[in-house]
Amino acid sequence: MNCDTCQELIHDLIDGSISQRDEFTLNTHLKECLNCESVRQDLASIVGFCRTQRGQYEAPPNEQALWLRIRNVIEAELPNSVTANTESKPSFLARLLGHSWELSLPQLAAATAAIVLVVSLSTVVGLRRFGGYGATPNQSAVEASNINDRIWQRRQVIDYWNQRVALNKARWSPEMRAKFDDSLKSIDEAIQISMDELSRNPHDEISEQMLNESLDYKLTLLKDFSDL
Amino acid sequence: MKTRFLSWRSSRAGVLAVGAVLAITALSLRVAAQQHVNKRYPAGQNVRIELKNISGTIVVEAWNKNEIRLSATIESKGTNITPRQINESFVVDVMSDNRGRGDVGDINFKLQVPANSSVDLETRRGDIRVADIRSGLVRAHVSSEGDIELTNVNALHVIAQNVIGNIFFDGEFATGGTYEFRSNKGDITIRIPGDSAFRLVAASPARRIALNDFWNNNFKTQDGRKIVGDVGDGRSSVSVTNFSGQITFMRR
Repeated sequence: MNCDTCQELIHDLIDGSISQRDEFTLNTHLKECLNCESVRQDLASIVGFCRTQRGQYEAPPNEQALWLRIRNVIEAELPNSVTANTESKPSFLARLLGHSWELSLPQLAAATAAIVLVVSLSTVVGLRRFGGYGATPNQSAVEASNINDRIWQRRQVIDYWNQRVALNKARWSPEMRAKFDDSLKSIDEAIQISMDELSRNPHDEISEQMLNESLDYKLTLLKDFSDL
Repeated sequence: MKTRFLSWRSSRAGVLAVGAVLAITALSLRVAAQQHVNKRYPAGQNVRIELKNISGTIVVEAWNKNEIRLSATIESKGTNITPRQINESFVVDVMSDNRGRGDVGDINFKLQVPANSSVDLETRRGDIRVADIRSGLVRAHVSSEGDIELTNVNALHVIAQNVIGNIFFDGEFATGGTYEFRSNKGDITIRIPGDSAFRLVAASPARRIALNDFWNNNFKTQDGRKIVGDVGDGRSSVSVTNFSGQITFMRR
């Protein structure tokens, strides 16, 4: 038996799970090898100590003092450069707040006027940019786009009812088809007139109202004829 | 030559005679194909009349009896009309009665009802005429083309709406009443007493609004396309919208 095999078997010997044949071979080797015998004795004493204490160990007399000493040792071993970097300069805000301000009356008035001027300018710019008074040329385009979006949504619904009408239309009498087509054409003309007016003047409330009513008209017509 | 002339004349007369016979036959067949319905139903004084037609004329008149008389001329054979009376409602729904049959042709209705009846009438196409009704509601809705004529009507709520066709209202505006007239293509004429009081919103993109005797300087107009304002104390609300026809107010 070599020393490596012996030291692996020492664990089994201490645990009590070794076979009789291995135990005989191991004991023979331990009598001849002082190193392995020493390992066995160390391991046996450690395991014996653990078994007697059963996981409960005495705390050091002063735990806090112990950790303090450990930290001091670690800090003492750190290079000086690291310590130097930890001393940061006071921030701009800290310096600003820490500074004692002593202003004369004219200086105070000038500072107030500057603040008022900056706030006024930013308010005017904000209102012009984000929808206050004074419409920019782009604003008309945005409103026209909103109207188109609304019309598009209404047209989705109208398309649905149009499809339902198309399914049944072939069953109607020629007279009924003619009246329906005439009515639809008439409403579409009204829609087109309102759209043309709105493209010229997106702010025209009457045209928008007329457009909405015409779309309602069309929807009602399609719904009425969809189940015929 | 004379013989040829005579034969031409006689053959022409023969063709005309045959044509006349065929026309009379077709007409008589058509008349024979028509059905006539004539029924009476007992009713209270405040009955609600609901009639949903597909195609044809609707005439509603008031009379002095507590009953409803329904007369109908039905163009197509096999078309059903099944009036239903539920509590104080009298309902005729041609669409429901002929579900799945599609367009069943013209049915011309004439209803004689108690004068206090509320009237709710609809048709896909055809004229609607209502006369001498004094009640809570008169509604006339033509989905496509047809004239609406409301004569001697005094109702709290009146709605008249078509796409193509004229609307004529002759009656009174009741205190607290609402009156709505809408047409896409047709003239709207409103004939009311000179002392009528109402708040008006009239819109006509064609700028054809004539208030005549009812005009006053308190009206606000937006370039002639919309007029808003009060006549008298504005105790009833009137809304008139016409896309391409004339709006006219007349003194009764």
